[in-house]
Amino acid sequence: MKYKLCFTMILILLLSMLTGIAGAQDSVGITIRCKASPPEEDWRCNNFAEVEAEVEADLGIDIDLNLIQDNAGWGDYKNEFVLASEAGEAPDIILSGHEDIGAWAPAGFIIPLDDVIGMHSEFDDIVPSLWDSHGYAGQIWGIPQDAEARPIFYSKLLLRDLGWSEEDIESLPDRVAAGEWTFADMLATAEAAVEEGIVDAGNGWWHRPSNGPDFLYYYYGHGGEVLDMEGNLVVDSEALVATYELLGGAVASGVLRSDVIGLDWNEVWHPTVAQADTVLFAAGGTWNWPNWSINYVADKGGDEFLFENIGLTLIPAMATGKAITLTHPLTYMISSGSENPDVALALIAAITTPEHNNKHAIDSFHLGILNAQLESEAYANNRLLSSAHYMLDHTTALPNHPGWNAWSNAYFLGIQAVETGEADAAGAADIAIAQMQNELGDGITVR
Amino acid sequence: MSERAKTGDATISRGRGGSNALKSYLGAYGFMAPAGILVIIFFLIPVAIVLYLSVTNLASSNFTSNLAIMEFIGLKNYRTLLNDQFARKIFFNTIFYVLVTLSIFNVSLALLVSLLTTHIDRSAGFVFRALWILPRITSPVVYILIWKRMIAEAPFGIINQFNEALGQPTFNYISTNPWVFVVVVNGFIGVSFGMIIFTSAIESIPKDLLNASLVDGSSKLQRIRYVIMPLIRWPLLFVVTYQTLSLLTSFVEIQLLTDGGPGLYRTEVWSLTAYHRALSNYFGNAQWGYGSAFAVLLVMIGVVLAVIYMRVFRFDELIAEPRVEAL
Repeated sequence: MKYKLCFTMILILLLSMLTGIAGAQDSVGITIRCKASPPEEDWRCNNFAEVEAEVEADLGIDIDLNLIQDNAGWGDYKNEFVLASEAGEAPDIILSGHEDIGAWAPAGFIIPLDDVIGMHSEFDDIVPSLWDSHGYAGQIWGIPQDAEARPIFYSKLLLRDLGWSEEDIESLPDRVAAGEWTFADMLATAEAAVEEGIVDAGNGWWHRPSNGPDFLYYYYGHGGEVLDMEGNLVVDSEALVATYELLGGAVASGVLRSDVIGLDWNEVWHPTVAQADTVLFAAGGTWNWPNWSINYVADKGGDEFLFENIGLTLIPAMATGKAITLTHPLTYMISSGSENPDVALALIAAITTPEHNNKHAIDSFHLGILNAQLESEAYANNRLLSSAHYMLDHTTALPNHPGWNAWSNAYFLGIQAVETGEADAAGAADIAIAQMQNELGDGITVR
Repeated sequence: MSERAKTGDATISRGRGGSNALKSYLGAYGFMAPAGILVIIFFLIPVAIVLYLSVTNLASSNFTSNLAIMEFIGLKNYRTLLNDQFARKIFFNTIFYVLVTLSIFNVSLALLVSLLTTHIDRSAGFVFRALWILPRITSPVVYILIWKRMIAEAPFGIINQFNEALGQPTFNYISTNPWVFVVVVNGFIGVSFGMIIFTSAIESIPKDLLNASLVDGSSKLQRIRYVIMPLIRWPLLFVVTYQTLSLLTSFVEIQLLTDGGPGLYRTEVWSLTAYHRALSNYFGNAQWGYGSAFAVLLVMIGVVLAVIYMRVFRFDELIAEPRVEAL
């Protein structure tokens, strides 16, 4: 009897140990790092918590999900991932701008996904043009998280003051998309507003006050290219000069402030533009809208105030004759240090659905990434999204190239030079090209 | 005593002397060792690493912490730096920033505050000095946010709100006078350091010396000129040297206030460029190697300036013997 009891106890002990070991083996730790402006962008990471149980059931494992989400500055955020990767402590999934593929793929910090994307049907529905900005060296390195448009916001309030009819105002996006109302028309309208005292000098048009992706569409709008057919960096000097002429001319004509670069985003730029009574045209991003609604005009009615007084349109056509915008998709990338890339990808696939992406799109006014989203009731019935989704048909993107930062910084130097009057357009182009050649050497071709 | 005995005594004496000298050296180096080890760990080794990084093409796109597999590119980063069309401008920006901030605020105003607050009622002096320390103990981000709100353009900025109330024109001060605010913002922080050092030095001067000068008929200004100033040469050297090096490497406030702008590097200083290149980049691919080249030149400038200061202020004499005790 004693032996039987002992045997039974040992058996129970062994079984419980085995069960424990099996449980430990099935528990998979996944760390996900997201940058998000709270509260409107929090779904970037929070969506993973929503699908955790679903993926656990599908894969028959226990996922220990660790979400790290804040609104750190981009520079610090990106350095954090680089240093963590080198230290072997990178998160399994990192959300960042698609242009980081150009630096992190050659460094070996992220893995290519071509061979595994096909394992998840959710990715089949992603808007095809978005994949273009996720390639490097002939492979796909990330899954789009969101898309956006960088439109011109126009003040309906000030256009009314300028004598525009409601029909003129409401039809503006269509006329811009058709190429009928061009950038030259926009500058002329802004100049008229200044001359008539509707806005102060310099407040006819504001672009962003710091370096960023937006500035590239002026160059694209003049036929400029950043990459040649082989994927090497190029700079088109004619397009560059034309871009600087446009910007310098806007300052000279009193439409654009010479000191708009340097204005504080939160102290001056957003609070001024959101009121709709000071600046006629402002180049921003779709995500600005919920930010303004929540933080700057909530006391005036939030969204209702904005719909009444602000509209958005594509960037009117410049030399190419086509209205454009630029989308800067954020991208889920899987770290090469991840021990469970298949689980990480399954999690990404699980949130790549209309249901989950709509939450982010609607709350933060980012455009959808899935064809099915357009047909979903929540997306289609959203006044903002439905008014802006067509912009994806006109979009451009940044290049994925390790030398892009040197290129863009030099390009921005030229913009600063011409707007502050430190150089004319040709001189600004010389400054930018000299800077590119000095830092990129043979890696840049001047055309 | 025989010759042999005399020789033997001399040998013993020399042996004892050598042993004492050795002990003395060991004692001196033993006391210096903790500081020496810190200098090696936190200065010499990092400088050596940064020097090595500066001859590699290390960037985010090929980042590694393994020194052995970094790609050696010789002096290419230095050639790129010297060919940079804005390097000269940034260099002279740095000289201007350091000289103006140091001379007006970190030394002159610090000395003035110290002299004034040590010549008034002790409690009042303490209160004034405490006020001057506030910028130093305030978080840089909070401190710059306060300044930004003060000098923001109308209708947001406090100064411009006064301008409007008085019927005066308003300004975007960051655009019109960036250097004024870069210097003032940093200077207000810098004053407190010198003020503490100078005040403690002045307070430590024996009272009988100060009183004796008055008994001899000197005015307070003469006492400052002929008694106090000579006795605080050592703190003066320390503050000038330390604050020069501190200003050379400080960039946080400039980064938060102007980020080197407006326009083409109007307020960009050398250390900020090193940071921009190596550690911060909006589009991600930070240039660690190239940024290190900027940092190495900064270290060289700092070391050269430190040596010059020591020569000018006759450092050897200053540390030879406490002057107060000698008097």
